[in-house]
Amino acid sequence: MSDEPTYFQNVGSVESIKGRVIRTPWLRHLVTFLLVAGPGLIVMEADNDAGAVSTYVQAGAQYGTHLLWTMLLLLPITYFIQEMVVRLGIATGKGHAAMIYGRFGKWWGRFSLFDLLLLNFLTLVTEFAAIALAVDHMGISPSLGVPVAALGLVVLVLSGGYLRWERITICLCLLDLTWLVLAWLVQPNLRHVVHDSFIPHVPPGGLTNDLVFLVVGIVGTTIAPWQLFFQQSCVADKRLRFKDLKWERLDTFLGAVFTIVVGGCMMLVGNAAKIHGLEFVDPAKLAGDIGGFYGPIVKYAILFMMINSAVLGTTAVSLSSSWAYGEVRGWPHSLQLPIKKAPGFYLVYIFCTLTAAGVVLIPKAPLQLIILSVQVLAGLILPSAIIFLQLLLNDRQVLGEEWINKRWNNVVNWTIIIVLFALSLLLAAQVMVPSLFPTSGP
Amino acid sequence: MASYEMPTVSINETDPDLVIHPLYDLPEKKRETDHLAPMQMTLSARISLITLRAYLILMGGMLLYHVLDLAGLFGHK
Repeated sequence: MSDEPTYFQNVGSVESIKGRVIRTPWLRHLVTFLLVAGPGLIVMEADNDAGAVSTYVQAGAQYGTHLLWTMLLLLPITYFIQEMVVRLGIATGKGHAAMIYGRFGKWWGRFSLFDLLLLNFLTLVTEFAAIALAVDHMGISPSLGVPVAALGLVVLVLSGGYLRWERITICLCLLDLTWLVLAWLVQPNLRHVVHDSFIPHVPPGGLTNDLVFLVVGIVGTTIAPWQLFFQQSCVADKRLRFKDLKWERLDTFLGAVFTIVVGGCMMLVGNAAKIHGLEFVDPAKLAGDIGGFYGPIVKYAILFMMINSAVLGTTAVSLSSSWAYGEVRGWPHSLQLPIKKAPGFYLVYIFCTLTAAGVVLIPKAPLQLIILSVQVLAGLILPSAIIFLQLLLNDRQVLGEEWINKRWNNVVNWTIIIVLFALSLLLAAQVMVPSLFPTSGP
Repeated sequence: MASYEMPTVSINETDPDLVIHPLYDLPEKKRETDHLAPMQMTLSARISLITLRAYLILMGGMLLYHVLDLAGLFGHK
């Protein structure tokens, strides 16, 4: 390979491009992958946000390792859905909100955008609520910790372009590897872990209200509507090319594997509480409780990872709102642009982030109601968001024969849609008829 | 700009060994979507959207019932 980058000049314009000639095939593939990778890992790992930490840890604390198989089952589902988004983003160079607006008209466009913005805002409140909870358990006042986190998140996107944002965010994603260390430190029974990961089964105690809620919660937190909007816009902002599709697919797949492994480790940390007979209230309290058995390092690591998860979730969710709103309004909407050239895009991000942080600091804010609303709204919106995605991926006018869904894609995706609809209806039925399943736990 | 000071060579984008970061590459022509009319409503698209409407109405109704129930309107609380 040549050591120095080679600079090419496009004769037709004044624009210069820089590239590198790499003659060694494996190294060329690796460098290409590393240049393209980012959106897939970020969208997947940011989905392990504060809500996910709470859900997975609760699943472990209540059911031990018995629900690990649900994570493995969600791996292909989450990949297939995001792969469609990648294809759509690379083929059109446009975001998801813009595509829904353009292809389904203003009514569905506004409906999708309103749902997304509302759900995202409520999700952001839950992220900051988790930060408040974690810093409080660390002995730091939330009235200091939350504004610092919010300002840090604003600086992150204003600090200088897409690449810097992406690199910092990838570092935050990789910090989640700490969950693997935590899972190792709490020493789960490996035989149970392997068995419960690969053999689907109903945990001891049978089918109960709590179990159904938790399984629906796991599905809802692993596949979220903002992910569709985020990754398509991210792919468009990074200007991924048709030739990058296979690498972005790999990025998305590895991101899915990473997020499922990390999510499973969160369950194992929760499992430690079950082993010691500790009652689950929230992840921060659980950190303190199991810290009594495994030491203060484990306690503070869990609290720190809660903050990291919330920060990751916040930047991704806020950006999905900014991109979507900017696309629909026709504003400049790119992290490549300075704030002077895309003021609306950045203002939406700043407004969402700071307002959500502000809500958390309001004394006696109805946080529990907001968390419940997020779960209900996410369950309500996800099937509709995926239906639009599925229809767009069958739109020959948009994608042509080359990029459109193949028959097997459609069979898989319609199966996923039917399962998601069924889970949503099950959740609704359970809310309506609380005695649908027994109430006793494991 | 620093890149203009570097020695330049003629473009050879067909070189299979050339690796360029997507953000530094020349813009690529994407599928044309700006001037398309709204999606043609095939039977499957129509059924999907009708099902979606029915689902949203049903879920919205259930949610409203639950909220009213929690508020004690039906005398359960």
